[in-house]
Amino acid sequence: MKCRSTYVESTKLIAKLIAALAVAFPFALNAATPNHIQIALSSTNEAVSWYEEHLDCERVVGRNDAVVCGDTNIEFFVGRTVGGSQGSAVDHIGFSVEDLDAKMAELEDVGVRGSGVRLIRFDDGALVRDIPGLFKIAFITDPWGTKIELVEDEDVIGFHHIHLNSVDPAAALDWYAQVLDGERESLKGMLDGVRFDDIWVLATLFTDGRPGITQGRTIDHIGFQVADLDAAAADMNQLNVEFRQDPVVPEGGRSDAKQAFVLGPDGVMIAVVEPGWAGIEEESFTADNSDSEELYVVPRTPWGEPDFQGIWTADAAHGIPLQRGVGAGEAGELTPEEAAARRERGTLNSIWGYDREWRDTTLGYVRSAPSTQAAMVIDPPNGQLPETTEAYKQLVANAPPRIPPQRARTPVDLGTYVRCITRGPVGMMMPSIYNNGLQIIQSPGNIAIQKEMIHETRVISTEPREGLGDGLKTWLGDSHGRWEGDTLVIEVRNLNGRTSYLGSSPDMKLTQRFTRTGPDTLRYEFTVEDPAVWTEPWTGMFNFVRDDSQYELVEYACHEGNYGMTNTLSAARTLDAREAEEADYQE
Amino acid sequence: MVIRLKPTVFLTLQAFLAALALSVSASAQEIANYDPEEAWDGNPDINGVWQAIGTAHWDLQDHEASAGLPEMGAIGAVPPGQGVVVGGEIPYLDSALEQKQANWDSRPTGDPETKCYLPGVPRATYLPYPFQILQGTDKIMIVYGFAEANRTIHMNVENPEPAPLDTWMGRSHGHWEGNTLVVDARGFNGEAWFDRAGNFASSNLVVTERYTPISADAMLYEATIEDPTVFSRPWQIRMPLYRRLEPNARVIEYKCVEFSEEILYGHLMKREENED
Repeated sequence: MKCRSTYVESTKLIAKLIAALAVAFPFALNAATPNHIQIALSSTNEAVSWYEEHLDCERVVGRNDAVVCGDTNIEFFVGRTVGGSQGSAVDHIGFSVEDLDAKMAELEDVGVRGSGVRLIRFDDGALVRDIPGLFKIAFITDPWGTKIELVEDEDVIGFHHIHLNSVDPAAALDWYAQVLDGERESLKGMLDGVRFDDIWVLATLFTDGRPGITQGRTIDHIGFQVADLDAAAADMNQLNVEFRQDPVVPEGGRSDAKQAFVLGPDGVMIAVVEPGWAGIEEESFTADNSDSEELYVVPRTPWGEPDFQGIWTADAAHGIPLQRGVGAGEAGELTPEEAAARRERGTLNSIWGYDREWRDTTLGYVRSAPSTQAAMVIDPPNGQLPETTEAYKQLVANAPPRIPPQRARTPVDLGTYVRCITRGPVGMMMPSIYNNGLQIIQSPGNIAIQKEMIHETRVISTEPREGLGDGLKTWLGDSHGRWEGDTLVIEVRNLNGRTSYLGSSPDMKLTQRFTRTGPDTLRYEFTVEDPAVWTEPWTGMFNFVRDDSQYELVEYACHEGNYGMTNTLSAARTLDAREAEEADYQE
Repeated sequence: MVIRLKPTVFLTLQAFLAALALSVSASAQEIANYDPEEAWDGNPDINGVWQAIGTAHWDLQDHEASAGLPEMGAIGAVPPGQGVVVGGEIPYLDSALEQKQANWDSRPTGDPETKCYLPGVPRATYLPYPFQILQGTDKIMIVYGFAEANRTIHMNVENPEPAPLDTWMGRSHGHWEGNTLVVDARGFNGEAWFDRAGNFASSNLVVTERYTPISADAMLYEATIEDPTVFSRPWQIRMPLYRRLEPNARVIEYKCVEFSEEILYGHLMKREENED
């Protein structure tokens, strides 16, 4: 039961964005206006900044989780998602700008890396398409997977429309017009829609089965405001609208106003709120510290060993630097907001050319709160790696220059990670932008640790056994395991030394320690002893977080699909040929 | 799509297997009499390091000795071997025979094993390397050395959903029937071969495996192969798996990527300056 309650708690940790369209408008009794849209993300501060910077929204005074765009409030909530908005019943939301070409040029100039804007191009490669008679349109996604249409509609600047996917668009639009009392009109005489004051609800025929329900996607739900919720609910009941929640003052509400939930066509979750609605207080966004190490009793396998079995991820640890930075704070801990921002930065900065879909930590799939740990290194206590030896400094000074990827002669020049061989015995455990899963399965006296990235599995015997002989060395070495109390200690020997972690030598000695410190926390420590490189041993630490209920390690056939290798080498040979041609020409 | 076999198909298959069992199971009595060691959960204990012995990895069917890579002399030659296909014949549809022949012709570079690709199921079982079985609480893991392949056999999923996407090793769900571990493996990508002779299946492949202890150090391995796009009927392979008795028997990590790179990328390499 303890596990279950922690699971519920951890589901609160992931991100949600609420967009509240607080339109000041005198309503007819049951006439509705769009009120809010809930979109999932991983950091409210980051989202506020993003919408301020790119969509000309303004921070709502006194709040760090809401912006106002024109007449429209957008609120952000931290919550979990199972994917972006595209393909769900609310495919995207639209904003209108005065000069779309300039806006897109600005976004293109900012680029993917810095801002987290992803530009979606049309089939012909253009960013902007001018629809004669309508207006210019373009598409982007925000860093959390919300698809956004940008249009140039001089009639309305700011928040512009909500675009639905539907198996029957006409019926869906009729529903919005009837139930929520919008005007069934045509946008510029070209697009059928429902107009709510200045804001349009549009719908496109969905042909690929059924659109996904909105709940759990980045646009979790949309909201409408009515003058009298109880009266509106009575009317909706007469229309056989499906209620998911009757009108109540929700727990955590910022005001005494009521909210109800109804299910719209195609699985659109719709909140209906009454005037005065001011959203729900953001849930606290903190790491799970509910179980102190002293009190936690590590569960046992049926045969009596500490039970580490299950699926764990290093997603929470993504973004923790190895060494402590300057100004990390005296306590050596970040605030949860700082930690969220750091992971966001780490995710955005750690890529070269990967699409957003690869990055687990950006997409909001991640269930665990970002770690507030300042740095991985816990020994030396200052969080810094020890001094390197004179011999190592000499080695570095005399090392041949690194061959850049575009000059790679053979796969060897690109390194063992790019070749899908291994990240090495230290690197294989490190957090990454995707494939952070770690599966542990035990049998009496044995423990298998399977890492999703590249796909590598080590089977560790926890009983004393003869090691591999000196004549047999491997990439990940021979793991000698033992239990020290409830801690699994692994000494890694017989490494072939063909990979290096930050300059480590072939004689590196690696010791790993796994301790379950809470129902959802697996503490991982690694000690590197390498006197040829560092003047003293050092130890790093981070936690894996349990993610059994939704995470499955899906086979990463890295080498089998390594088109990047073919493309990189092919590009390098093209450069060679071009240079040879130029040299010939000069002769 | 539902993972379970449709009842009608299932019955047909059962009848077919029963007939097979009658015709070929010389050891049926032996199997029925053996009372295996129990694991922690009361099921047979099949933890440990196992290996198939034979030449099924060359060719599932009877095969004579034949030439291999001339530069490797007799080491590179294909040894003769007895087939493991029950009844001897692989019931290819006419339309699939052409692909089988093309695979055979292209095998020096076309075989996924040559390219160090994940071996798929059942091929991983009878590659000439040991593999290790770990019987965990809700899952059984099989760790193979070659290409770092592994499988998680989910023992705790009642009505499995279809695999989220097709993969080399597929997705496996298992249960115990008496002393037999029965594994339903599907969700394959159709890229893997069954052997070095180019026997193959498509992504519609469903493999039903049965692991039955027949002595302290041997299991009977039976795999029923169904793929209506390639075969005219289900067929079965059958072989013993032997426990590796060396006190320090291990599955040794066999990262074979580097040995495949010449075949895969040789045409894109710049050699003269790179002699490391």
